[in-house]
Amino acid sequence: MIPLDQQAFERAIDGAPSWLVDQRRDGLDHFEKFSMPSEREENWRYVELDFDIRDLAVPDAAGDLADGPGLIADLDAPVGSVRIVDGHVTGIEGGEPATLITTAEAAATLGAVAANHLNTGIAPDTDVFAAAHRAFSTGGAFVHVPARTLVDGPILVDIAATAAGSISFPQLTIVAEQSSEVSVLVRFHSPNGVAITVVPQVEVFGGANANVKLTTIQNWGDETQAFGHQRLVAGADTQLHFAEAGLGGRLSRLHLMVDLEGRGSNAEILGAYFGDRDQVLDYRYFMRHAGPSTSSDMFLKGAVEDQALSVFTGMIRIEEEAQKTNAFQTNRNLILSEGAAAQSVPNLEILANDVRCGHGSTVGPLDPEQRYYLTSRGLTPERADRLQVTGFFNEALSRFPESAVAARVAEAITAKYVAAVEEGRL
Amino acid sequence: MTAPALQIRDLHASVGELSILNGVDLDVPAGEVHVLMGPNGSGKSTLCHVLMGKDEYTATGSALVNGAEIMGLSVTDRARAGLFEAFQYPTVIPGVSLDQLTDEMEAAADDGEAFRARVESASDHLGMDRFRDRPVNDGLSGGEKKRSEMYQLAVANPRVAVLDEVDSGLDVDAVREVAELVEELRSPDLGVLLITHYSRILRYMKPDRIHVMVAGKIVRSGGPEVADQLEDEGYDTLRGSDQPDQDDPLLDLL
Repeated sequence: MIPLDQQAFERAIDGAPSWLVDQRRDGLDHFEKFSMPSEREENWRYVELDFDIRDLAVPDAAGDLADGPGLIADLDAPVGSVRIVDGHVTGIEGGEPATLITTAEAAATLGAVAANHLNTGIAPDTDVFAAAHRAFSTGGAFVHVPARTLVDGPILVDIAATAAGSISFPQLTIVAEQSSEVSVLVRFHSPNGVAITVVPQVEVFGGANANVKLTTIQNWGDETQAFGHQRLVAGADTQLHFAEAGLGGRLSRLHLMVDLEGRGSNAEILGAYFGDRDQVLDYRYFMRHAGPSTSSDMFLKGAVEDQALSVFTGMIRIEEEAQKTNAFQTNRNLILSEGAAAQSVPNLEILANDVRCGHGSTVGPLDPEQRYYLTSRGLTPERADRLQVTGFFNEALSRFPESAVAARVAEAITAKYVAAVEEGRL
Repeated sequence: MTAPALQIRDLHASVGELSILNGVDLDVPAGEVHVLMGPNGSGKSTLCHVLMGKDEYTATGSALVNGAEIMGLSVTDRARAGLFEAFQYPTVIPGVSLDQLTDEMEAAADDGEAFRARVESASDHLGMDRFRDRPVNDGLSGGEKKRSEMYQLAVANPRVAVLDEVDSGLDVDAVREVAELVEELRSPDLGVLLITHYSRILRYMKPDRIHVMVAGKIVRSGGPEVADQLEDEGYDTLRGSDQPDQDDPLLDLL
């Protein structure tokens, strides 16, 4: 294992072109100045961190992966797949007609396509994790979809971590050129019972009229903490779809920034998360409308039980030029046990005057009226509640881009709910 | 003589300090359709919910379904004893399709093939095909909701059906349609208690008996002529003539 110092930095820039070395050096400068975030910072409210990133170290190489592809196994044949373990690509194949290569290869061979996109989505001054990623990442996968290219079927990206006490910085960059279409499916996972920290970075650049679908299945192990940064950028008339299923992790945070730059672009942002035991699921979503006639819909549904905590803060910012914009966000939360909590904080910042905006946020228990209605049909209260939970999540999952995956997620959520009932935690 | 499908004796119910049902006695024999009428606030809907076992009411007294006591049972067990409530305001179950609901009902009912057959025949008969993969009661018109309730009733195959204001909020055509559906429900194995505020649904159906509830008691029972009388005179005459002073709690103590 290599501590987060000059040595880890030297490894990260090994063989990199000069522009990438400069990027990483910038990251290192920020990393050295940053302290750990505090709950007093608006963007970190509700969540207290009990460790120092400087005590962690990056793995020398990819560890052995005991478990298989799990939730995304035996789906219809993907057109390409890549596996990233402990921050190192261990396998990569297919992807045609898109180019699916490692970040290092992309930096070396794709020229401007790489230089203009790689690491441009996440600024190193975002927080200590973003700075560390910039400085120390050994990369990951790069997907390039040429103009007017339709990729038929999903590209699977399997991101895992294995080493106890380690921190890793897996990376995924998707560049979908004008009028292209692609669907990318990411699975995050790690073994249970092993203390691991992961800082993933995902960047998506949708060209004019491109249609990009990104689905992430977050199924980290129960002692893993993850601090993800993700940016989606849309050109004119670009369609962006992002769906995240939040299942695992001791603490899993996703800092999402969406920029609707081009006129007429659209983003659909979906989420379904279920926090059990003492899990913390932390979503900080920022939707920025810069182009006119843009539209966005954020729709997240979550449940927490036992001592779990979920946080959703959603900021919609509509710039002065973004007239004729529609922007909505909805976050609904079920509190299944008394000790569980959900923070749901929608925000609007509107600088244009001809827009339609709305937000809805609810936090509450299962609905006794639904239970009454369903039990009057002969269902036991347990089955009635389970059906209510299923329906609650189905409202989000039915809109997920990859329906086969959504069905797996629905099963996984039901399994978590049933375990909570059977183990008497509700 | 066999026991009535539904037999209610001395049923009292209250919410907190507020007494709503004050000794209801009512029999609905199997094979018959009875109508319960009464002014707003007389306790008609409360009777439905108290029979079904909604937990916001405190109730005493007896209610037998097919000869078996249901008071004190859970809502689930009352349904399994053969009681069905068609709701005045059917609850929306977001994200759960009607098919998912009937699948769960099938698993709970444990009469497999017969249940499946009822789903298919009732779906055909009521034209439910286009509603079955839609969320339960979500985005339906008033008439569609009632139709969905009647569909679930047909599928559940109860011994007693209590229909809470199935005619409220409907236009004339929809009222006629619901009345026809109720008449079609008639079966030697089923007792129906239809609760309504208005007599207009009676133009399209032929109930065996009509009961009038005022202030939480049945004050009049009889044939179709009761409805005619209500039409002519309203509820006020019944309030006057049939609500003797014994309702005064002070007299009850004597």
